[in-house]
Amino acid sequence: MRPLAIASAVLSFAATALCVEQGNLTKPLTSRVILPSTFKPPQNFKNANLVHIVSLEKSHPKESINVVIENIATTPQDEYFIPFTARQMETIGGLEVKDRKDPEAGLFEVEAVDFDIESDTQFYRVRLPKPLAPKAQQTLGISYSYLSALHPLPATIAQQDKQYLVYTFSAYAPSAYVTSKQKTEVKFPSTVVPEYTIIPGAKGELESPQKQGSKFTYGSFGEVPAGAVEPVKVRYEFTKPLIHVSRLERDIEVSHWGGNVAFEDRYTMTNRAANLSKQFSRVEFASQQYYNPPSTAVKELKFPLKVGSLDPYFTDVIGNVSTSRFRSNKREANLEIKPRYPVFGGWNYPFRVGYSADLKKYLRKLSSGTGYVLNVPFLEGPKQPEGIEYEFIELRVILPEGAENVKYSTNVPLVTAGISLHQTFMDTQGRTTLTLTAINIVDEYRDRELIVTYDYPFFAILRKPLVIFVTFLGLFAAAWGIGSLDVSIRGKRS
Amino acid sequence: MSDTIVEPFLKGSTGRNTRGILRLSILVLIAAAAIASRLFSVIRFESIIHEFDPWFNFRATKYLVQNGFYDFWDWFDDRTWHPLGRVTGGTLYPGLMVTSGIIYHALRALTIPVDIRNICVLLAPGFSGLTAYATYLFTNEMSTSPSAGLLAAAFMGIAPGYISRSVAGSYDNEAIAIFLLVFTFFLWIKALKVGSVMWGALCALFYGYMVSAWGGYVFITNLIPLHVFVLVCMGRFSPRLYVSYCTWYALGTLASMQIPFVGFLPIRSSEHMSALGVFGLLQLVGFVEFVRSGVPSKQFATLLRGFVLAVFAIAFGGLVLLTVSGVIAPWTGRFYSLWDTGYAKIHIPIIASVSEHQPTAWPAFFFDLNLLIWLFPAGVYLCFLKLADEQVFVVVYAILASYFSGVMVRLMLTLTPIVCVAAALVLSHLLDTYLSIKSPSAPTDADIDAASNAAPAPSKKAAKQDGLRAMREPLVGIYTTFSKTSVVSALTAYLLIFVLHCTWVTSNAYSSPSVVLASRMPDGSQHIIDDYREAYQWLRQNTKEDAKIMSWWDYGYQIGGMADRPTLVDNNTWNNTHIATVGKAMSSSEEVSYPIMRQHEVDYVLVVFGGLLGYSGDDINKFLWMVRIAEGIWPDEVKERDFFTERGEYRVDEGATETMKKSLMYKMSYYNYNALFPPGQCQDRVRGVKMPDQGPVLNTVEEAFTSENWIIRIYKVKDLDNVGRDHAAAASFERGNKKKKTTKRRGPKVLRVE
Repeated sequence: MRPLAIASAVLSFAATALCVEQGNLTKPLTSRVILPSTFKPPQNFKNANLVHIVSLEKSHPKESINVVIENIATTPQDEYFIPFTARQMETIGGLEVKDRKDPEAGLFEVEAVDFDIESDTQFYRVRLPKPLAPKAQQTLGISYSYLSALHPLPATIAQQDKQYLVYTFSAYAPSAYVTSKQKTEVKFPSTVVPEYTIIPGAKGELESPQKQGSKFTYGSFGEVPAGAVEPVKVRYEFTKPLIHVSRLERDIEVSHWGGNVAFEDRYTMTNRAANLSKQFSRVEFASQQYYNPPSTAVKELKFPLKVGSLDPYFTDVIGNVSTSRFRSNKREANLEIKPRYPVFGGWNYPFRVGYSADLKKYLRKLSSGTGYVLNVPFLEGPKQPEGIEYEFIELRVILPEGAENVKYSTNVPLVTAGISLHQTFMDTQGRTTLTLTAINIVDEYRDRELIVTYDYPFFAILRKPLVIFVTFLGLFAAAWGIGSLDVSIRGKRS
Repeated sequence: MSDTIVEPFLKGSTGRNTRGILRLSILVLIAAAAIASRLFSVIRFESIIHEFDPWFNFRATKYLVQNGFYDFWDWFDDRTWHPLGRVTGGTLYPGLMVTSGIIYHALRALTIPVDIRNICVLLAPGFSGLTAYATYLFTNEMSTSPSAGLLAAAFMGIAPGYISRSVAGSYDNEAIAIFLLVFTFFLWIKALKVGSVMWGALCALFYGYMVSAWGGYVFITNLIPLHVFVLVCMGRFSPRLYVSYCTWYALGTLASMQIPFVGFLPIRSSEHMSALGVFGLLQLVGFVEFVRSGVPSKQFATLLRGFVLAVFAIAFGGLVLLTVSGVIAPWTGRFYSLWDTGYAKIHIPIIASVSEHQPTAWPAFFFDLNLLIWLFPAGVYLCFLKLADEQVFVVVYAILASYFSGVMVRLMLTLTPIVCVAAALVLSHLLDTYLSIKSPSAPTDADIDAASNAAPAPSKKAAKQDGLRAMREPLVGIYTTFSKTSVVSALTAYLLIFVLHCTWVTSNAYSSPSVVLASRMPDGSQHIIDDYREAYQWLRQNTKEDAKIMSWWDYGYQIGGMADRPTLVDNNTWNNTHIATVGKAMSSSEEVSYPIMRQHEVDYVLVVFGGLLGYSGDDINKFLWMVRIAEGIWPDEVKERDFFTERGEYRVDEGATETMKKSLMYKMSYYNYNALFPPGQCQDRVRGVKMPDQGPVLNTVEEAFTSENWIIRIYKVKDLDNVGRDHAAAASFERGNKKKKTTKRRGPKVLRVE
């Protein structure tokens, strides 16, 4: 056991080192709480009742834990810890905690705890908005997803074969506290689940899982100590692509002069589905086209854009891709794109999609002063039934030249944020650019908003016309000056 | 009323300014029209690089922009001509790439975020505007009529002969070279007229630029000396001629030698000898003129005769000696094919296989030049009427370019400028004559008095006019409004038809990117067939970074540019043997080609197949060229005759020859094709034949990707068999066939002699 732990620790360390080298942050770095390396979460809570739901309906597993927590300490407590393994910490995305009884209250503050980089158990710390009084109970709704956690087995299949995925998880929900009672529900996309772990029932209880259509239930289990793990492996049919975007660069460019906001998304997309066991056969593909059977190939991506989006384009590195359609009317603006070729498992297809829209729909001027509020979607990726995962997102909001006092707010978990200058289109000073990065985002975050406020003084609006005017004046003056010089070597003629 | 308003603007110095502004705005409009008419392809398709060679230029430009000038200069490209590589920096004309690189960096300095692709796409239209201006300047040197230049500029702007090589996206050397050609000629004429070192040096500068941009600079290198030679023969030697030519030659040759690809050619190759010879001749003539001024004429004649004979003997002997000893390079094949159109077909199939090296068909002249071609002789005739030095140039240029354009389709491009100039001379002459000629008014006394200042002997003339009856009625013939309007309106109609024709030709013949094909959907909307890019993108994304692609050389540049993968051969056909190797691999049976592909580390083979769509530019139609080129190197192994049936037909269906059916190209083209059709209905839509039900069997390569409309098919070359069987045996085992007993394959009994 020990060498394994060391090996995994070394591996995770190497992975971190690699990530640092690439400059690609796969670990959440912001708002880390640094604690001594001997840290153990204080046993202040008890999980009175817990329901763990593993949803495998999409191409990334989504887990949610509904738990009733009880303060068993003598003083009011507001720090609740959730443990994950180091591997899970790297791929976990979108951890959100809210009060199940009061979902309107908003999300709780969640932070990764940094105490010992070599430990295999890492923690997220949830800060309850109000400290929980002793003996009091609260119902938490914790949800998160793992990226790149599903693996096809067999890893290579024929072009029309069905794909099966394997997912390993624990039947006991991850917890740093004693859990009195819990069960785990697994939701599959279909009823075809050829292989799964069977947990024999203890003391006359039924053996797990109990099947109910496409839903499997493990448990319920009795009291389980903190950090207990009961590995469960399932293998189920999922003949859909596993769309993985390893990098998404999104630019949002605001132009006050043009009254326009331009979006451009650059995707580095891979299909993580089972690779083809033989080479691609066009005959087979073409003959199946009419029946349109489920396939692991990405044939089409659909972008429901905001109503009023204009002039969309879909290009890749060698130019325009003509196989796209844009339906736009008063109710919808759907962009449907087809990659140049069907993207089978293991194939890549990087592309870019862009469109613009009337600025009025996104920008409002504050009634007082020179302030503006911009409200744009953080992510407007394709909306696929099987879902999409984004490993790394870099969002740039390019504000007009001279914008200042930039503030932003979003409920997407961010990694870094920074403000820089971006020079384009004859800028003298450069445009104020807000750069936000996020990692491990799944497409549930699709419609999250990003709100940016900034000041745009009147002089900054007139800056560019003035600069161009002065430049041309200078050019004419210089031309006149040079033209009136006498450079002939003939000497003055009388 | 309007006359009175306009009148003050047309008089005096205001008039000059008004005309200047008018001329400027007309020129700007012409340039705008020239650019606009070249944008069909961008509007219909997209901003994309066209065809084949432009893809290399584009790739080279990207390399220049990314790595800087010095890296570009020293560029050794190991991703083409695998495994040989290509010294790209030393074997290209860098002018085009450097021009776009400079524009790119200038725009970037102004922080205009322009993509290098868009600069490359729009470079040719942009320069066509400049060409129109250069033509204006050039024509103005030829004629005193102010309209000739404008007409020539307009013709140059829209003549299809030039548009064919300069539509948006046609990012080839000719894009800037034609501008440089015309502008160099303008500077030459200017230098010759003024006899100034400055204009000569400018001419040399632009000549150097031209050399850096296009191999067609040889045309200038020969035309200017020829012009000078003709002038000298006409006895028009003058210090102006001497100064301008010597300046141009000395500086221009130095400038041209700075290009690595040209190097020492200007003093070694035969194509450049005329320039050197004329340079020498001018020195001699200059010397003779000098002597003549100091020696009495009788002795001079004797001296001259002896001198001429001696010089001729020495020069000719020297030339022969140098050519024989190999100091001067012998004439290249491409040059021979300029004189003998059949030469290439017999000796160098690789040159003959390029469509733009074919002799021009007669309709092409009318197609590319329309009314200009019948105005052209008249323009040359007008030049004879007023045969100054510059008119001689037009005549010489016209004769030379007419000949060459008849030999090679591509050289139509060099003919176009002079045709535009000549036609503009004629038209302006006609229009000037018919638009502004004033009817001579009745010769009253007052008129005679008024005219007395201008005419030296008015009274005599008047008396004469009075004497002739015909002259008493001056309002007949060309002076009538009828004759004026009819001629002018006829000419206007011709010009309008010319514009229509140019637009039609540009839009229909010259604006297809050929990377993208267009077709119509049943509802009339445009459907784009994008198989090339589909396959190239697949290669780019889903194969190893250094996977070697074998294809016929036509697609080499595109694979390099779009798929970014190393290729064996490409459109820079510098190594005939290597191309023949690929030709051999394609035209031989699998057993022969597999070792060739292994030796060249080929990972994928790409073929173009148009059978499904009816796309006629596919590899089966080009196949005979592959065979011919391979046969040129391996006459014993590849024979063109074997690909024709007994009756001499080139067939791909049931009746194809055994060699044809066994060739790798045939197999790769038709592999699995019959699976697409119900039994007995397999059809090749290009060649319009029914294919056999049993498709070919492939053992050594496997189908890796086929594009949507089957235009591009990519095959992966199989690795060696794991258990050491040959591929045929392994594939047969896979299909579940029984292993053939070896005893059956014994063959005829042979007497063993040992």
